[in-house]
Amino acid sequence: MALLSPYSKVPELNTATVLLVENEEELQNKLANAIVQHEKDFNVNVRLAKKLPLPVENKEARPRIDLIVFIVSLLSERSLQSAESSLSHLHSDCFLGKVCFLVTDARCGSHTQERLVSVRKLAASHHCPVICAEHRVSAGMTPISTTALYLSTLTRCSLTSDLQEDYLQ
Amino acid sequence: MDEQARSVLNRVIRRIPNKNIKNLLSKWNCLSADQLQALDYTKPKRMIVEHIIDCCESSNLNLKHITNLEMIYHLDNPDQGTWYACQLTDAQDDAVCVELTQFKEQFKAHLHGVIRHISIKMKKHEDDAIWIRIAWGDNFSKPNHLKPTYVVHHLHTSYVFISNLMAKHKIFLCQALVVATRHGSIKDGHLSTRSLTAMRDLLLRRYQQVFPSAQSKIQQERDSPPLHPCIGKEHSDYEEMRHQMACEAFGHGPTPKLETAVYKLETRYRGNGNLTVSDREEFFRGVVRFSSSSLLESLRNCVASGMAEGPVTPLLSAITRRGRNSFVITDKGPGVSSQASAPRA
Repeated sequence: MALLSPYSKVPELNTATVLLVENEEELQNKLANAIVQHEKDFNVNVRLAKKLPLPVENKEARPRIDLIVFIVSLLSERSLQSAESSLSHLHSDCFLGKVCFLVTDARCGSHTQERLVSVRKLAASHHCPVICAEHRVSAGMTPISTTALYLSTLTRCSLTSDLQEDYLQ
Repeated sequence: MDEQARSVLNRVIRRIPNKNIKNLLSKWNCLSADQLQALDYTKPKRMIVEHIIDCCESSNLNLKHITNLEMIYHLDNPDQGTWYACQLTDAQDDAVCVELTQFKEQFKAHLHGVIRHISIKMKKHEDDAIWIRIAWGDNFSKPNHLKPTYVVHHLHTSYVFISNLMAKHKIFLCQALVVATRHGSIKDGHLSTRSLTAMRDLLLRRYQQVFPSAQSKIQQERDSPPLHPCIGKEHSDYEEMRHQMACEAFGHGPTPKLETAVYKLETRYRGNGNLTVSDREEFFRGVVRFSSSSLLESLRNCVASGMAEGPVTPLLSAITRRGRNSFVITDKGPGVSSQASAPRA
């Protein structure tokens, strides 16, 4: 089984590629737009996928992936299950600071709390950070661009990131 | 104006929002311009109705005019009440030659022949639909205009759409239709909706169908603007395939607005539990019901977004393929076959 590996390709100059994996394929479009529009200093490419493994046909054309973000909607059990099964398609090298989890709708009820706990456990066992995001707009910045800001920070420093969770509005 | 006329008028006007009353009355063309001018649509409904009744009485209008008004109302608002589809079968050789006048005469003649008191009104609408309003009486009592049956038929198609038909009148109506259209019989269409437009669109195939073809791939309509060049989709091929599959099953673009699909199970339980033989002989009766404000749209979305795995089960695609939303599933086959499933209402 071909695993997605971060070091199998040569990096491009001044360019980073982020892979957003989301079963629902809802938030990833907005987030992708926010990321590419926000980052002016260097090129960020964003690839969108529903789950892993990625199609073999794209293997040659696909650039090196620098950051993998699993977007999990806490409203759906299937979302978490899909993310979990996708994890097994990643090479263990990815978990050295190249994977993070982004959860949405963490404040929408009791089931979401349980799922949040599961996501945190899953992320902690793989040494990945968890970011919480909300669709709703709050005073000041829109949440999506803030998340984009944080993600680009993650992209820049590919050292192992903090294990603490950050809550962004 | 008699009591019945008043009641019918009352019922029609009550249903319409005040702002649309003027339009309907002008289409009706029975009140003079002065009378129409004098009507105040800001008053409460009850007062408007009374005012119209007064106008009708001073113009000497009677039940005939009022039923005409009701019919005009239904022609303009076809998506009310519940409609059922029926299908004419065994077309005789001269079925294609049936003309409108011939149809009208034969239909009326048949019904007048079997029921003494009956009131039939027919109108041809702009899209070649024949609308029929029937107020049923019997051999002793006058027609009841408060519970009319409406029938819509497009000549030379095999479908008839019926609303508000009582069981005891069904046989008469069916006979009349069969005779007037020169067919051998009529059967239940297993399709019922609130929207006549949806029913017609589905059965007369007035929606954008997609046929499987190696060459043509339908353009996916993107609600969102095209993607930034730095954004790439990994699963775009799969997405297109899913979209294609969904559209083949449920149509492209706006779909007919069905509300429900019902599947009655008459199958036997096949579990591995410790069941006695007698348990296995019993039917496991269940009903699966899908409801939505626009069912075909929802199903298409489920398939296109990947929520439901493809290929689309024939049980669901049968809704569009066979134009029905009521199915009976029996043990004889995995899908819905015409031999296995007994036609039920």
